Amino acid sequence: MTITKSASRYLWISYTAARSNLAYSSEVIYRCSFLAVILFIFLRLWKVVYAASGSDRVGGMTLPQMVWYLVVTEAIYLSAPRVASEVDEDVRTGRLAVHLIRPLSYAGGHLSRAMGDRVVRFAINLTVGSMLALALVGPIPITASGLVMFLVTLPAAFLLDFLGMFLIGLCAFWLESTSGLALIYTRTVMMFGGMFLPLAIYPALLQPVLKALPFASMLSAPGVMFVNPSLLLLKESILIQGAAVAVFMLMVGVVQFVAMQRLFSNGG
Amino acid sequence: MSRGVEIRELKKNFALKRWTGLRRTVTEVVAVDGISMDVPEGQAVAFIGPNGAGKSTTIKMLTGILHPTSGNISVLGFTPWRDRRRLAHCIGAVFGQRSQLWYHLPARDTFELLSRIYSLERSEFIRTRDVLIERFDLGSFMDTPVRKLSLGQRMRAEVAASLLHRPRVLFLDEPTIGLDVIARQELRDLICEWNRNDGTTIFLTSHDAGDIEHVAQRVVVINHGHVVVDDNVAAVRRKYLGAKILRVQFHEAPRPMVLEGVTMLHESGCEWELQIDTAITPVRVVTAAVLNAGSVADIAVENPPLEEVIARIYCESRKEVPT
Repeated sequence: MTITKSASRYLWISYTAARSNLAYSSEVIYRCSFLAVILFIFLRLWKVVYAASGSDRVGGMTLPQMVWYLVVTEAIYLSAPRVASEVDEDVRTGRLAVHLIRPLSYAGGHLSRAMGDRVVRFAINLTVGSMLALALVGPIPITASGLVMFLVTLPAAFLLDFLGMFLIGLCAFWLESTSGLALIYTRTVMMFGGMFLPLAIYPALLQPVLKALPFASMLSAPGVMFVNPSLLLLKESILIQGAAVAVFMLMVGVVQFVAMQRLFSNGG
Repeated sequence: MSRGVEIRELKKNFALKRWTGLRRTVTEVVAVDGISMDVPEGQAVAFIGPNGAGKSTTIKMLTGILHPTSGNISVLGFTPWRDRRRLAHCIGAVFGQRSQLWYHLPARDTFELLSRIYSLERSEFIRTRDVLIERFDLGSFMDTPVRKLSLGQRMRAEVAASLLHRPRVLFLDEPTIGLDVIARQELRDLICEWNRNDGTTIFLTSHDAGDIEHVAQRVVVINHGHVVVDDNVAAVRRKYLGAKILRVQFHEAPRPMVLEGVTMLHESGCEWELQIDTAITPVRVVTAAVLNAGSVADIAVENPPLEEVIARIYCESRKEVPT
């Protein structure tokens, strides 16, 4: 009963965040147009790359697969909520007090809110991206088992990204501003997570390193599962994602504990 | 009477670290320095002090947000920093400058969310919500996104939201900041009403003397981390200002009047506003002199504004604390 009530609290936060996210239709339209422009540019670029390579496969993917991979990874990347800056603001402005006055875990509250935000944004991005990909390169074969594999890796990808951004936000307890760190983090995810370039295109020596890093678990893992699912890859992804989530959660626990000891009231 | 809040020898120090080149110096700043007080359940207390006096720090320790350096606190039997989440079910807070309402959604959605966060029984929630909507007059804007509300409407909704789980102690940190005179008065009346009818303990911090005067029964003045005054509002006024304000309206221009201990604050035509130092000249002597000065149409003896009392307490406590 208690667990159900506790879960209901956090789920309702997600639901409220999702509704709040849809309040501004103009922002939703802006995000969709941005995604459409990016996808169109990358389609043109990949067409040139495929033509220059003289092969119908680059990094083990056909052009339609590459475009669909890009749709998924872009949809994930562009759906990221502003967790780091929100935590930063909580610390800097003292808004933390509003969160801590509730019978909720601070991290849990932010996680629920971020997930509510993200699910809506991702669903919209994926819908728009899919329509565009269908129009530009047509469909790719998608099986039910492939879809399940994709849906298994997706929540862990979101959770991992949340933990990374939450950790950066907590750095506001020590730093004047976390925006620099957040910028480095997002660009690292973009570069080493396999957003623009699938990891299979990177030099062979780098690939195992990149796959082992948590960034690939945030973008590449679900992207690959969508276009090229395999049970072996799924097992590997779950293992890496599980380990990364465990490490990130431990880090969040320790950093939050230390940060709360440093918490001081700056008036108001 | 049961003890709502008990504070014993509460201290909070902060380490202020500064880098001078490669050398780091750590200075200990004392924010709260040995506060002790009891607040019985149902009492409305104004907790006031100048900026940096330690009142926000104390409130944050009372709500479990901050850990004290030493000392003890019991809020409704809970130790706030150990039982923060359990205590959160019994207390509410409004931070005047920080909203708890979802900006893009109507207040109704925040109310709904709060009912889940506090695990309220559905029927109990609906009953309380409807009572709050009626008493705080929220009905006309409950379904309007918060971003479209006026500050007065938003603050009424903020306070109502903090009462939704019927907290036994309500912490109000500058609840009327930025409000116009009417909205401020409305909010004060509502807080008073809730304190009276529901027996909710009110812990109010404000720089507005009107809030203190209208809402609180007791004033605790804190400065430099110490309690410098702890008494009821009327007693504080009596103790700290042996002065009265006399407003007189004459039928025609009065004769000039000079009395020791009486200062003319305002004079225009047939109107006088006098400040009387009652330690030098009693009010009855001044009243008699005023009646001799001309034909009086109206006369009123008033207490000086609480702002003056507070300013005087702050000045006195500043003199007492060695720098």
